[in-house]
Amino acid sequence: MEFIDPNVVDLSRFQFALTALYHFMFVPLTLGLTFMLAAMETVYVVTGRQIYKDMAQFWGKLFGINFAIGVATGITMEFEFGTNWSMYSHFFGDMFGTPLAIEGLMAFFMESTFVGLMFFGWDRLSKQAHLAITYLVALGSNLSALWILIANAGMNMPEGAHFDPETMRMQFESFVNLVFNPDAQAKFVHTSVAGYVSAAMFVMGISAFYLLRGQHRQFAARSFRMAALFGIISTVAVITLGDVLGRLDYEKQPTKIAAIEGLWHTSKPPFEPWILAALPDDAKQENHFEVGVPLVLTPLITHTFDQPITGMHELEDAAGPRIRSGIEAVSALRRYGVTHSDVDLALFTQHEQDMGYGLLAARHAPNQDVTNIPENQIDAVVKATQPDILPNVFVTFWSFRFMVFLSLWFFALFAISAYVSLKRRLEHNKLLLKLCMWSIPLPILATEFGWITAEAGRQPWTVFGWLPTFLSASSHGVSYMVFSLIGFVLLYSVFIAAELYLMFKFARLGPEHDSMEPHAQHDAPKPSAFDMHPTAS
Amino acid sequence: MTKLLRLAGLAVVLVVSLLFAVFVGDQGPWYFAWVIGTVMIILISGAGAIMLDAQSNLSSDEEI
Repeated sequence: MEFIDPNVVDLSRFQFALTALYHFMFVPLTLGLTFMLAAMETVYVVTGRQIYKDMAQFWGKLFGINFAIGVATGITMEFEFGTNWSMYSHFFGDMFGTPLAIEGLMAFFMESTFVGLMFFGWDRLSKQAHLAITYLVALGSNLSALWILIANAGMNMPEGAHFDPETMRMQFESFVNLVFNPDAQAKFVHTSVAGYVSAAMFVMGISAFYLLRGQHRQFAARSFRMAALFGIISTVAVITLGDVLGRLDYEKQPTKIAAIEGLWHTSKPPFEPWILAALPDDAKQENHFEVGVPLVLTPLITHTFDQPITGMHELEDAAGPRIRSGIEAVSALRRYGVTHSDVDLALFTQHEQDMGYGLLAARHAPNQDVTNIPENQIDAVVKATQPDILPNVFVTFWSFRFMVFLSLWFFALFAISAYVSLKRRLEHNKLLLKLCMWSIPLPILATEFGWITAEAGRQPWTVFGWLPTFLSASSHGVSYMVFSLIGFVLLYSVFIAAELYLMFKFARLGPEHDSMEPHAQHDAPKPSAFDMHPTAS
Repeated sequence: MTKLLRLAGLAVVLVVSLLFAVFVGDQGPWYFAWVIGTVMIILISGAGAIMLDAQSNLSSDEEI
């Protein structure tokens, strides 16, 4: 086993986290805006009213800016798996590569092909054909997210694969299990709908800006109404699927759920409080203070009133035998690689499910090799490895809370906004409009916190229970990592600056200055079943 | 003939939708919920906009 510098592992983690978080500043808007555009265009096709075409075109232009930069930031991440995570790619590439390949060949190509038709096909396609194209773009962008999240779910809850001692890697076993992995299902819907929330807040906030300035009032009122209703249902869906993910983590990733809840000791149902705020201390393995709501935690996580949630200390204790068994597995596997003896294979098979814990112990073994551990030092290595099974509690705990608190804020804001819009009192509520405007970046922030919770909470594993993160990286030098990290920071910061500049510029210009489709060329309004009186739109 | 073809096309869409609902609803209930939920979100937000048109048409004031 090759020794990997821990600094390189940390830098690789930092670089991937940075590029992923940068990338995910753009993704939610793409996921949600496409379906919002589809909704606006659907109304245009059904009613024939020009204003809805204006809306689809204007918000489509902002979508286009975001889409282009989002694609550019996403491509580098796929290369990072090969350059910075070569051991991971070897170990899990069979599983991880399949959904990524399908994503590229099916979803990304579909999305990229139809997005051109969507932008340039307004005058070349019939209304119905253009609407179909818009739906295909929306479907393509969300299918793209689906395959990425299927790949990610495999890392959190490996399904549809088995470890092959001949090839020393996870082998693809079942496509159906991979696609219908419960974690993939819940995570896809949670992430996709979080994108809807981001897009709804984006449209609602910019519409609020126009209303505050008294510009484009009819345009902004309709955009605001659609976004508020789009957002309130999406927020309910995000919270529902967040609950589903919590329940799955309770069953499959108990260390993550214990860290999320700052639960050092097993809970005492049903009175265990849900901690609203605390100061988790990873070094001392305790919370310095806690403010909680009694009776909430047990039903929230377990959906019962009597099931306990295992605490981190108890999880550490339970890991001891698995680490010992894992050391046996890795040692047997190493011998089998040389001898190909049935005895070694049988011993490995007996301890196979704990192999990852044996690899985790390698950090405390001489030369990161558990076969080098002297018999009288195994207990010490096991004891030293036990705390390693826990993620960073402070980060996981607070990123989760920021996400949840922000979600509750969105729920309140969308609900009030929808109510005020339905009562047609928007322009009398300046404070609400300002809150909507200033809340534009918050859903993006919430999705970033969501990813931090999911990924930091999975630690110390890249493939949960199978492959530790510190063994997953490539054996680069520190200087290489620092150099590429600086390059990424500079490049991606330029992307963000370009996105913000263009978004501010075109949002300020507003729909009347849409050079892509000058208003002089607009179709004449056509009467429809919804026209009770002719109106100026 | 066109009507017949359209009817046949719609019947095929219906059958495919039913098969999709049965299979995905059984194997991947949250995927199915996403499909239904997204359609519902689009329809409700669209209905909200159309309702605003109707409110504007029925009212003489300039409120939005």
